Amino acid sequence: MKVLLVLLMALAVPAWAQDWKLDAGKSQVRFVIRQMNVPTEGGFRRFIARASFDPARPEAGHFRVDVDTASIDTGSAEGDDEVKRPAWFDTKNHPWATFVATSVRREADGRYIAFGELGIKGRNRALAAPFTLIRQDGGWLAQGRFLLKRGAYGIGGGDWAEVVADDLEVRFNLVLLP
Amino acid sequence: MNQGYRWPLVGLHWLTLLLIVAAYVIGSLLEDMTLSPLKLKFYAWHKWVGMAVLFLLPLRLLLRLRDRIDHAAGLLPWEARASAAVHGALYLLLLAVPLLGWLQSSAAGFPVVWFGVLPLPDMVGKDKALAEVFKELHEGAVNLLVTLVALHAAAALYHQHVRHDGVLARMVPWLRSRP
Repeated sequence: MKVLLVLLMALAVPAWAQDWKLDAGKSQVRFVIRQMNVPTEGGFRRFIARASFDPARPEAGHFRVDVDTASIDTGSAEGDDEVKRPAWFDTKNHPWATFVATSVRREADGRYIAFGELGIKGRNRALAAPFTLIRQDGGWLAQGRFLLKRGAYGIGGGDWAEVVADDLEVRFNLVLLP
Repeated sequence: MNQGYRWPLVGLHWLTLLLIVAAYVIGSLLEDMTLSPLKLKFYAWHKWVGMAVLFLLPLRLLLRLRDRIDHAAGLLPWEARASAAVHGALYLLLLAVPLLGWLQSSAAGFPVVWFGVLPLPDMVGKDKALAEVFKELHEGAVNLLVTLVALHAAAALYHQHVRHDGVLARMVPWLRSRP
């Protein structure tokens, strides 16, 4: 009985951690790709973020972001149609791209790196996402950017490699409210 | 007697023609293409060529101011006025067509990186509705440019084959009589 209690306490989210709700309207998950060396901005219209942390110790918190791959905005309707196809995101079979932080390291005041796995198209790859946490309107603004390689997730192959760069940058602004 | 323009201006004149034909052909093909790697290349090439026309224009105008020819010679007053008007409109469109294309590209959120190397500044912020307006204006200006180029060419051929007055030779050095 005592053992069970200890186990439960260890598993339970610490009492001082708080769940923060995403303000989707003010949050953004965007990306910049390069096609013919032209930086082209896009983003996702729908995503869910779950964050549970104690503001005094965010490094002990839990972070998870799920992105609806079909909500992609590439900047043009023809681009949106194209990247939903199997060669790109294959949104029918893989409707979600998910990042789950397994640990968070504090770099400096308000600056952290989330280590975890990013899963896109059924492929999970380790990812380190640096971000800042800024107090904003009673909540928090989590802001960061990281580089990705399309090839690592099998997004867009074949002839596209010739015109669309493998490297792309993801930028996120997540507004978290109590 | 000055029979025509000097070779730098002649070269730029024909280079501009080559560039606008290339831009027009690529631009027309783009209209009916579905998105593909080739289409992205065509977009880029179209913009590179258009920007080349734009950036060569000031040089052309400078050379043109240096090479002065009496354009009214041998023309009726209305012909001289029509010639000046068409030439003025051609220069204006050589400026307006690429500028409108650049504006459209900026408004659509796809910047121009000249030859894939030199990023050009965005003329306006991203605004899809505005991009549509610039697209219409770009196409309208292109149609006007094509019409005036055809008129310009027809007039040159008329001078050469009907009037035999050496006007075409000003821009075609090998037609000039040897001294």
